[in-house]
Amino acid sequence: MLQVHLEGKSVVATGSREEMERHVEAMHDYGLWATLTKADA
Amino acid sequence: MRHFERQPDGALRAELDAEEAVLLQSLAGQVSELVADAALRRAQGASEDAAVARLLPDAYPDDSEASAEFRRFTESGLAERKVANAEVVIRSLAGAGVTGSVTLDEAEALSWLRCLTDIRLTIASRFGIETEDDEAGRSIDPLMREIYDWLGFVQNSLIEALDDVVARG
Repeated sequence: MLQVHLEGKSVVATGSREEMERHVEAMHDYGLWATLTKADA
Repeated sequence: MRHFERQPDGALRAELDAEEAVLLQSLAGQVSELVADAALRRAQGASEDAAVARLLPDAYPDDSEASAEFRRFTESGLAERKVANAEVVIRSLAGAGVTGSVTLDEAEALSWLRCLTDIRLTIASRFGIETEDDEAGRSIDPLMREIYDWLGFVQNSLIEALDDVVARG
């Protein structure tokens, strides 16, 4: 949270695409500006 | 408006003016329309509104194809839940003009918090409020900035009342 406060963004979770998309949808419910980036395999 | 207070039965109650109730109902209604019509306007090729882009953001900022796919599966549900939260706010304020107060249970309070966030994000994105600077957006529209601050007060007071479990004793 401090990183979000200071830098405007932070990596909060990594995992499978399906799992992360569920988290992002839940965060959008709360008005949080959550986005996804594909990690290099 | 006075701050929310936890009642002995666990309910959350605040006193407010009829004008404040009407204002809050109007704002909740406008945000509700904004998200409810978002998919339709996009389908019609309208350019994306800044507030909509913030409320229903691209999930993959660097990948428009993946973002569109994510939208296809999630956006209608997200929009429906935001509309439902707004409807809770509007409905719970229905009698406020007569009683001079509003009383919420915890589920309604959580809908209020989410809807207040959506309203504040909408105002912030329209008026360029991007930092904690108390003056941000004030020169564009002083009244809207006052309303934005007031919504923050309402939201903060509701969170504090929710935290106050002692009064339930």
